[in-house]
Order: sequence, then C-alpha cells, then structure tokens
Amino acid sequence: MPRFLKILARNLLKGPSTEAFPFKEAFTPPRYRGKVVMNPNLCVGCGICTHVCPGGAIMMKESEDQNGYYFMVWHNTCAFCGSCRHYCPVKAISLSQDWHNAHYQSEKYRMVEHHFVPYLHCSSCGAHIRRLPPALAARIYSHSSVDPATIIRLCPDCRQLATAKREGEVHESSPAPQQP
Amino acid sequence: MGFLSKIAVRSPWLYRINAGSCNGCDVELATTAFIPRFDVERLGCKYCGSPRHADIVFITGPLTLRVKDQALRVWNEIPEPKITIAVGVCPVSGGVFRGGHSIEGPVDRYIPVDINVPGCPPRPQAIMEGVILARELWLRRLEKLEAGGGERRAALS
Repeated sequence: MPRFLKILARNLLKGPSTEAFPFKEAFTPPRYRGKVVMNPNLCVGCGICTHVCPGGAIMMKESEDQNGYYFMVWHNTCAFCGSCRHYCPVKAISLSQDWHNAHYQSEKYRMVEHHFVPYLHCSSCGAHIRRLPPALAARIYSHSSVDPATIIRLCPDCRQLATAKREGEVHESSPAPQQP
Repeated sequence: MGFLSKIAVRSPWLYRINAGSCNGCDVELATTAFIPRFDVERLGCKYCGSPRHADIVFITGPLTLRVKDQALRVWNEIPEPKITIAVGVCPVSGGVFRGGHSIEGPVDRYIPVDINVPGCPPRPQAIMEGVILARELWLRRLEKLEAGGGERRAALS
C-alpha cells in the first residue's frame, strides 16, 4: 500500500486543522499575557510599574483633590511584556487572558484599565499616606517587636516619632552601660 | 448595481503596508493568512499584490521618517471605500518607539484609521477579529456609497 494512501486516510480521520475561531471560542494558553489587570486593594503606589514599563503605558497621577491617586494602563501602547507584573512587589498587577483587543478608532482612548486608589489618613496627625497592606506590613516588621496593625495607620513622620519614643523608653528602662 | 458588484462585496481584498515595522506583526499577518490553522481566506478575504485592488489595508509599524512618504503614497493609491486597520501597538500609538527621533507616527496623524488591533504583536485571532470588524464597516460604507451616488468622499464622511 503506497504511503500517501495512509496519510490520506489519517488526514480524513483527523478532520480539518483549521480552528473554528470566528464562530467558536479560540483556544487561549493558560499563561497567555493579555490585558493588564490591577487590584487597587493591593497597590501601595510605589510606582515601579511606571518605571519599568517599556511602552510607557502605565501612568500614576495624584487626583485633583489630593485624596488618592489614579492608576491607568493604556492598552494601546502596552506591549504585554509582563514587566509590571514581574516587578510589582505586592502582586497587585496581573495579566489576564483577554486578548480581544480589536476595536474601532472611536474607542481608541477607552482601552484603559483605570483605578482610583484612595489615600489613608494618619491616625495621629491626619496627613495623607499611601496604603500599606497588612500582609506586606507583617512581612516588613516580622523581625521586629512593633505591632504592624498600629504602624500602618501612621504617616512616616509619626512613625519616626513613635519609634524614637519607644526606643527611648527601652534605653531608660535598661541599666546604663558601665563607664571604664 | 450589477451582478458582479453584488457578489463581490462578500470578499474584501487585503493589502499590507509595512510602515517601519519590526516584522513581528507582518509575520502574524502572514500567519493569519497562510497557515491552515487560522486561514483568513475562509472569510472571503485574500491578500493582493497591488494597492489598487485592495479594500482593507493593514498598516504595521510606527511610520518612520524614512518610509513615511512611500507609505502614504501607497495608501493613497488604494481606491475608496477603503478600511484601514492599524495592526500592533506601533501604528496605534507609537508603542515602545513613541517619542523616538525618527518616528513620525502614530499613523492616525496622517491617515484616517478605522480599526485598531493593538498587541505586540496581536495574536492571529485578534487580527481576524479586526478583519471581521473591518468587513462590517466596509459593507456599511459600500451601502452608503451606493445610496450617495457619485459623490464619494461626501458619502463616506
């Protein structure tokens, strides 16, 4: 039996290799890098994503009333490289599997992932502070006796004051070192 | 309208302009057309070699200074009604090359773009979605053109 008949029979059994895509959903690999998604509950506003983005697609801007900041990704200049996800220290940025990017020109500037992240208020002086998620604070202060739950509600200045006070108390209570 | 022009509207012909692309998007365009897995010719589309036969034109690349005049000249050769699809982030916004010293784009500064397919490069299925959008728009424009008679540009706007 000639070989080509075998191939012919196999191809007949296998069916067409063309994807049914426009009429059915296309296969998307599980690790496909699609549109950028950001979780505003995790963002600490460090801005490393804007720094590493090769296309300059990410913008972080303080709001007009200074109550928080806007986070924007414009997907029309995003290269879907995943640098932002890689460098995000709190894993707030992820890339979805959504690749349905084709759009009319009228929607060009609406291809945006847009979030408003509000500032917190310092529990001591009331100043605006960027949010520090409890999980991250617990990681930062894991080797210290400081209570992360109280310190994340303080602004950097008040944090410094609180630390100075606490350290001072520690030194007063411990006996002074002997002079030689 | 004759019989031929009635059946011809099912099949827009495609044409590619490389306006300084890195070739990534061009490879995806070729993939969309020539690999049986995607096969854009199922939708009645076909690549053609001459801009004068084209109905839908793909533009890739950020429109570099070097290629700008040629790209615009070729684009002007394409008869109305044409649909322009910007493929990849470069023609849409300049992409990673935005602000470069030899970048004249984004393309919509010079050419009225109709459809954008961002991606670096977009996957073939996304390009096919763009082609489907373009085909609908093209059919609408053809209808307008028929209704508007000889005044081409006025009917299109």
